[in-house]
Amino acid sequence: MTGQDESTASESVSGAPIDFDRLGIIRNRFTTDERFTQVVDQPEFAPERLVCVYDGRFYPSSVQNARLELVWFENGDFSLHYHEDHDEGTFDHRWDRHPSDHNTRDHIHPGPDAPTHGDDTSHPSDWRDVLSMALTEIETRQRAFWEG
Amino acid sequence: MEEPHSELQADAEERTNSPDFDALSPPEELVRGGRTRDDFFDAVLGLDSPATVGDIADLAGHGVDAAREYLEWFERMGIVTQITESPATYERNQSYLNWRRVQTLRDDYTTAELLEFLKTETTRAEDLAEEFAVASPAAVSLSKHAAATEQSIEDVWEAVSAWKTAQRRIKLLERALASESGGATDQRTAV
Repeated sequence: MTGQDESTASESVSGAPIDFDRLGIIRNRFTTDERFTQVVDQPEFAPERLVCVYDGRFYPSSVQNARLELVWFENGDFSLHYHEDHDEGTFDHRWDRHPSDHNTRDHIHPGPDAPTHGDDTSHPSDWRDVLSMALTEIETRQRAFWEG
Repeated sequence: MEEPHSELQADAEERTNSPDFDALSPPEELVRGGRTRDDFFDAVLGLDSPATVGDIADLAGHGVDAAREYLEWFERMGIVTQITESPATYERNQSYLNWRRVQTLRDDYTTAELLEFLKTETTRAEDLAEEFAVASPAAVSLSKHAAATEQSIEDVWEAVSAWKTAQRRIKLLERALASESGGATDQRTAV
């Protein structure tokens, strides 16, 4: 009932409009957080994704910039895309819930290059837990830049 | 998620200036608003099918009595609609959320800007309708269309979602433009 994997409603089978309201709430909560220097919805009048730019102080100079781009749909489907730019190369990781022919509805496209063929997984059913999971995994990676 | 490669890690000098991750608000708190009202609003916003008072209490992380109280209030506000009597089930009231967005569009943009958005979205929807050669995105079968056009299901899903989003935007923009001249009728019918 909250956008779970086995959802069979016709709308979730064929896609749903972007959930502008959910993105708006997420923007409001993230805007004042110290992790991000910028939280922008594009396009502003009815967002199709939220671009959350991480503060550079969480990364060593080898990482030029990092951001999380997220989109949510009214049927609970989503795609969260984490991206880093390095001097030489990039790092990408995606958490997804949507129909595909290469994976189950819930899947990830793991870094460094988020290949088309991802790994099947099972994301939390509550959208807030999905977001929290992604932020936590990103933070674990950020901390690892400073260990060793 | 994979750990960063060693050549990307901070060097000894940088490490003297490591960021203080522990000072950040924990993710599970950040994604929630922190107030009981936010918890219930988030819970109903995440509903895509009718849910019982107990379900909503669980989602919000509060008791059933509080859930009942908030749901009654939300229903008066138009945020949720009661679907069944016993057990009582509720659903997110998308028409309220749309109405709220229409008001925001009117407040934030001029008529000329709204018309410009409408033109862009209409073109997008027409292009997608042409691509799929059916009247409505609801008529598209992801798997059949993917097979017929040698695309991945993911790509077709993305295009269908974009089409539905464009249609939703057109509806909102048309309402915002109609209510520019039409006064408060919109408000009365939507809530």
